[in-house]
Amino acid sequence: MSFLSPLFLFGLLAAALPIAIHLIRKETPPKMVFGTLRFLKNTSKKLILFQQIQQWLLLLLRAAVISLLVFAFARPLFDGAIASLVDAAPESSVILVDASMSMRYGERSEQARAAAQDLLAGMSAGDEVAIVAFGGSALQVRELSTDLDGARAFLEALPEPGFEVTRFMPALRLANDLLESARHQSRSVHLISDFQASGMGNDDAGWVMSAGVRLNPVDVGAGPTRNLLLTDVRSPDQLIENQSEYEILARVRSTGSVHVDQADVRLLLDGVETARVPVNLTDLSEEVVRLPAVFDTAGTHRGEIRVGTDDFAVDNSYFFTVDVMARIRVLLVNGEPSANWYDDEAHWLGLAIAGSAESPFVVTRSSPRELDAELLAQHDVVVLLNAGSDLNSTQAGALNDFVREGGSLLLAPGDRVAAGPFNQLFGDISPATLEQPVRLAAGDYQLIADIDQRHPVMLPLGSDWGVRFEGFWMASAVADADVLMQFDNGSPALLERSVGQGRVMLFASALDTEWNNMPLQGLYLPFAHESLRYLAQASEKERAYRVGDVIDLSTAVAEQATLTITDAAGASTQLLAGNRLLTATTAGFLNIDDGESVQFYAVNPDPQESVLARIAPSALQDAVTNPETEPVQSEDVRTAQLIAEIEGPQRVWWWLLLLVMLMLLAETRVANTTYR
Amino acid sequence: MTSNTTFIDPTVLSSLDNLELRARVVVEGFVSGLHKSPHRGFSVEFTDYRHYYRGDDMRHVDWKLYARSDKFYIKQYEDETNVRCYVVLDSSASMGYSSGVMSKLEYGRTLASALAYFIMRQRDAVGLITFDEKVNEYIPALCRQPHLIRILRVLAGLQAGARTDVVRPLSDLASNLNRKSMVILISDMLDDEEQIIKTLQRLRSMGNDVIVFHVLDDAELHFRFQEATEFIDAETRESFITQPQSIRDAYLENLGNYLEFCKKQCQSSGVDYCLLNTSQPLDTALYSYISRRARSF
Repeated sequence: MSFLSPLFLFGLLAAALPIAIHLIRKETPPKMVFGTLRFLKNTSKKLILFQQIQQWLLLLLRAAVISLLVFAFARPLFDGAIASLVDAAPESSVILVDASMSMRYGERSEQARAAAQDLLAGMSAGDEVAIVAFGGSALQVRELSTDLDGARAFLEALPEPGFEVTRFMPALRLANDLLESARHQSRSVHLISDFQASGMGNDDAGWVMSAGVRLNPVDVGAGPTRNLLLTDVRSPDQLIENQSEYEILARVRSTGSVHVDQADVRLLLDGVETARVPVNLTDLSEEVVRLPAVFDTAGTHRGEIRVGTDDFAVDNSYFFTVDVMARIRVLLVNGEPSANWYDDEAHWLGLAIAGSAESPFVVTRSSPRELDAELLAQHDVVVLLNAGSDLNSTQAGALNDFVREGGSLLLAPGDRVAAGPFNQLFGDISPATLEQPVRLAAGDYQLIADIDQRHPVMLPLGSDWGVRFEGFWMASAVADADVLMQFDNGSPALLERSVGQGRVMLFASALDTEWNNMPLQGLYLPFAHESLRYLAQASEKERAYRVGDVIDLSTAVAEQATLTITDAAGASTQLLAGNRLLTATTAGFLNIDDGESVQFYAVNPDPQESVLARIAPSALQDAVTNPETEPVQSEDVRTAQLIAEIEGPQRVWWWLLLLVMLMLLAETRVANTTYR
Repeated sequence: MTSNTTFIDPTVLSSLDNLELRARVVVEGFVSGLHKSPHRGFSVEFTDYRHYYRGDDMRHVDWKLYARSDKFYIKQYEDETNVRCYVVLDSSASMGYSSGVMSKLEYGRTLASALAYFIMRQRDAVGLITFDEKVNEYIPALCRQPHLIRILRVLAGLQAGARTDVVRPLSDLASNLNRKSMVILISDMLDDEEQIIKTLQRLRSMGNDVIVFHVLDDAELHFRFQEATEFIDAETRESFITQPQSIRDAYLENLGNYLEFCKKQCQSSGVDYCLLNTSQPLDTALYSYISRRARSF
């Protein structure tokens, strides 16, 4: 037997009251002097004994009445303890613990752990539980198990939240999948989170959990928030020496529930504060501040912008890198010099890339005959303008070596190029094999029909190419070449091929006005700049990455080197030769050491995670709960229902009270027949 | 019951402090009632007749009556009777019990004074013995008016005393009686009844007339108590807590056995036995006396 209100059992002490009254307040009957007791004392001894029994019976009845009342109020239950009743309906559940960056705000992480521990504490033997720490995806998973102690240990060992974004749906999907193999019919998902609005995403709209799976949202993000966020920072990724002075833009916004209107924005270059600008958001939702910067030395500079001091320090800094390069040395090998400047390809290209004193390019012109290894070694990029087939094998070999050792080559064959010698001399490095030159009839032309917009050269140029090609080379791409542009007849127009440490691009037409009108188009100059800059600095390094981005180091470091990566916290990892893909997991600067030099990569948290706007937990609950699932019941409600279901038919208290009434009647009867 | 007899009612008598007056009221009322009763033919003021027996003085023959009835009757004068009565009154503690207006002792005292008054009125000698565990007062039997006053004074000053010992005063009395007497015992007899009966039988065997007025309170006779009560023995001070209702039947059975024993033993010994309830009028006792007196003399 168990009791639903065991505290009432203290009332059993009251059962001692009749005994105490009997002992302490001994009420004496009235005294009467009588003639003689001889006729009284001679009454039957059985009668006297019966009187004594009556007295004891009366005492027992009164004590029993109080005891039974106490038992009735304590609501006794048969068939085991409440815990066993609750255990009769074991549950399978998944605890989802939000480990995204926003959980680093205040003490949310500690609260989430405590809430998870509370959930575990409320579970009973036989319940099975899985634990998933999630951010943008599942970070740590402990599958369904009845080992609650193990679950507690797993919770204790969970790492602190990092820089992950919040995505509810992948975690909920995983929890739903885990519960598919659950052993119990009662299934629920406990989602412990700050319920950041950005966590909803848009990819899983309409998805709901399986029928019968209940979602129990546990909110640890309530309360006011204060946060200043650098929503955007504009800084150069590469600078040429003569562009060393720059102005960095930073957009500051208050994203907490409590508006922060005053702060300082500071710029640190290579760890030294170089500028400080106050920001006033009293009347504005956001403001753009301008921070002057001077990059006076070549190399990679580490920049950091810090804003204010608020309760969410993890997003108070924005990291970026600026690579300051020397000017690019370009060698223009002109295969068809002309007295008429409009027929001279070197004229058009030279004018485009070196037309001003601030040009990042240093241009050298030469004839095919002057080309040799020594000249090549003095330049970063070589452009063969309508030349190539007239080079000798030595020159061609020098060019091959130049490319393989890291130099870059742009091929622009025209009418003076012969396919056979060209293919023979440059077959090992050219991205395409020339087939035949095509000269269209007057009035006919080809257009650029297909462009790889994602290529670094094409990215800033857009797709509005109105160039008319009246002459071009029919070419076929080699196996390891990439076609960046095609004519509308399907023939490649621009191709790229990596050779050794170098890179070769082939433009299947002339760069003057003889075969096309491209030099007359506005695209000509940016195309020339982007192409030569790309060829000279082939690295795809960005000024700043986000946590979760995959950084391709293949163009930045030697293929066979073993890399040592050290993050902002000082933790080091090794990246072996052959593996050049690195996933950014922490914010700050990554130091990548290949043994000869150190490169810096800037990583920032996803700004979405800094927007602390929240959704109502019930909204998420409504969105993902299957309509066929019964409403969520708290543990208390569920226990109360079990108790009511089991206590109702028993009604022990009812029988006890009935017994009390009968005993009271008996007490009255006995009390009237005895003197006490 | 006539209106005169109401003066003998204990409730009325208890309002009379003067014992002599109380005795007179009892007796006068009783006598007055006798005149109106066809069954009672005796009065101390009336000359009595009896049949003539051989040897009687012829001077005492009532010739007028002989002329009317043709039978000889002897005119009996009041001076001729010479009865000595001893009223033996129990004044033990148990006699002090009262559940109504009059205790057993008060009842006995009234009865004793009435009897004394009545006896003196018949020109008989009356004496008084009061006792509890010993004889407290002994007044020899005399037939003088001042003697009655003395008896009444003793009775008036009588208080309930100690424990009862009926045997001892009766035994003493038996030893001191040198001629036939009438012994009237007024007591609740809450003592060893067998010894009491033996003593009474001894008195009777000596030729004495013995009348026992067994005085008990109405509560003692019927035990109509309702609530739980601690009963304290008036003599031994022993206490007993009980619920009267539950033992009433047993009590009455015990009492009945006791009374039956007393009654049978007295009757078998020639002792007049009269059970008196203190809530009842005193005439019952007087009738008993007169009846006994008539049979004896």
